[in-house]
Amino acid sequence: MTGDHLAIEASGLTKRYGDVTAVRDLTFTVRPGAVTGFLGPNGAGKTTTMRMLTGLVTPTSGTATIGGQPYGRLAQPARTVGAVFDGNAFHPGHTARDHLGVYAAMAGCPDSRVAELLDLLGLAQAADRRTRGFSTGMRQRLSLATALLGDPRVLLLDEPSNGLDPEGMSWLRGLLRRLADEGRTVLVSSHVLHEVQQVVDDVVVIRRGELVAAGPWSRLTGPPTVLVTSPDTTALAAALAAAAGSVEAAGPDRLRVRGLDAPRVADLAAAHRVRVHELVTETTSLEQLFLDLTTETAEAR
Amino acid sequence: MNLIRAELRRVLATRMWTGLLLAAVALGGGLVGLMALVGPENFDPPMPGLHTEEGLRSILGILGFTAFVPAAAGALAATSEHRHGTAAVTFMFAPRRGRVLAAKLATHAIVGLAYGLVLAVAAAAALFTVAAARGVSLGLPAPTVLALLARIGVAMAVYLLVGTGVGALLRNQVAAVCVVVGYLYLAEPVLMMIPGVNALYPLLPGGATAALTDFTYVADAMSAQLGSDAVALLPPAAGALLLTGYALAAAAIAVVVPMRRDIT
Repeated sequence: MTGDHLAIEASGLTKRYGDVTAVRDLTFTVRPGAVTGFLGPNGAGKTTTMRMLTGLVTPTSGTATIGGQPYGRLAQPARTVGAVFDGNAFHPGHTARDHLGVYAAMAGCPDSRVAELLDLLGLAQAADRRTRGFSTGMRQRLSLATALLGDPRVLLLDEPSNGLDPEGMSWLRGLLRRLADEGRTVLVSSHVLHEVQQVVDDVVVIRRGELVAAGPWSRLTGPPTVLVTSPDTTALAAALAAAAGSVEAAGPDRLRVRGLDAPRVADLAAAHRVRVHELVTETTSLEQLFLDLTTETAEAR
Repeated sequence: MNLIRAELRRVLATRMWTGLLLAAVALGGGLVGLMALVGPENFDPPMPGLHTEEGLRSILGILGFTAFVPAAAGALAATSEHRHGTAAVTFMFAPRRGRVLAAKLATHAIVGLAYGLVLAVAAAAALFTVAAARGVSLGLPAPTVLALLARIGVAMAVYLLVGTGVGALLRNQVAAVCVVVGYLYLAEPVLMMIPGVNALYPLLPGGATAALTDFTYVADAMSAQLGSDAVALLPPAAGALLLTGYALAAAAIAVVVPMRRDIT
């Protein structure tokens, strides 16, 4: 299936457990060739959603498809989708090689693929040790090896940063970037934003089971704003407004400017002979965006 | 086929498999050998000796009481994927769950038959060796003894599948093993003693297994002691049919119950 570009599509996904609605009318698309961050606070419904995408949990209503097919109808599921839900899903008495061997047999992969992945994930030394004695990092890597067995076009990772040290996380970001650049579809959930911020192209943000925002990360954050400090804000504001900038006060001698970039602000100030003491370009961090999008709930409680 | 190969790998890589084979040798060879060596006539209370048909059937029947071992193994294997969280991985690799569940069932049947075979062969070896050493001529011709042991061996596979069914139903490993062992080891013998209820005994798995070898000694002894009516076991063929029924019911549960269940 190499070369296939498979999008993930969720449409009106809803899951109720008795009176509790874990996921409500969720619609979003995850495009191939990009890393998409699936973000939300703990308990927002990320895991339930990912389990619905892979047929482990049956939605109460709505549909989820991968490359246009429901997961259960995929001809070669293990060669299409790889997922890590719980970085600890092994029989403690199995060695890493045993574990991968079971799933290689299920996926119809040759055993040479097992050795390949043990090498790729740096587990060759531990291949014949029982997983009982594995560290958290080794468990995460073995889970990832399991997901990658079938060389899948779509990769789903649920909170992969749990238990990974900063070095491991940086390695994982590199791997995700490489997989996405190969045209694969990568969806990675997290509640710890700064760990995925450096690698995501798109984001899907949910809160209390509902969609809050979705789209390319750059569009969600909007264009950068410029923060300018000047002893003469009145004259500066007039000059900037005349140049079609939108200006708001950000303190006694400070303005926040939208629609104009920093060089333009500096040039306008110079042209109008207004003194400028400080000029800063502000970019919203994903963390800030995430807080903006999700804190409303906390306040509403 | 890939799925059965995967499930066989899953089972054979665990220590449970080694333990199960050791148990088959220990119970088949050890238990039967020991009983034959001591001689049922020296039991307390004494039972008919090896040279009688009844004594021989009793020893084989007692071997039938060890069925809780493969049943516990079945429950253990069936609940292992939930206990260790690998069910999600397995059902992702095989989203058509019916096929992987059927493969598990086939694998468990193979494991059960292997256990039964080892148990029967070890028991036969022990029995014939000890009888020859003690100079006792057995109360039944050798082909009959082998046929009875073969029935016990197959019954062991049935018990392993019953354990699998209970495991699929309960999912909790500790609960499933406790229920299986508790029922077979404690509850069923107790049921056998309760007047009235014991009329049901021939229809329970234990009664059906006893019917396979026409092993009535323990049931008769209990009835005699309690002064109740003797329990009439089913004929061996009916017992076999009933056990097959239990196996099919367990198999149906093991395949149907986890079909649509959410894996969370």
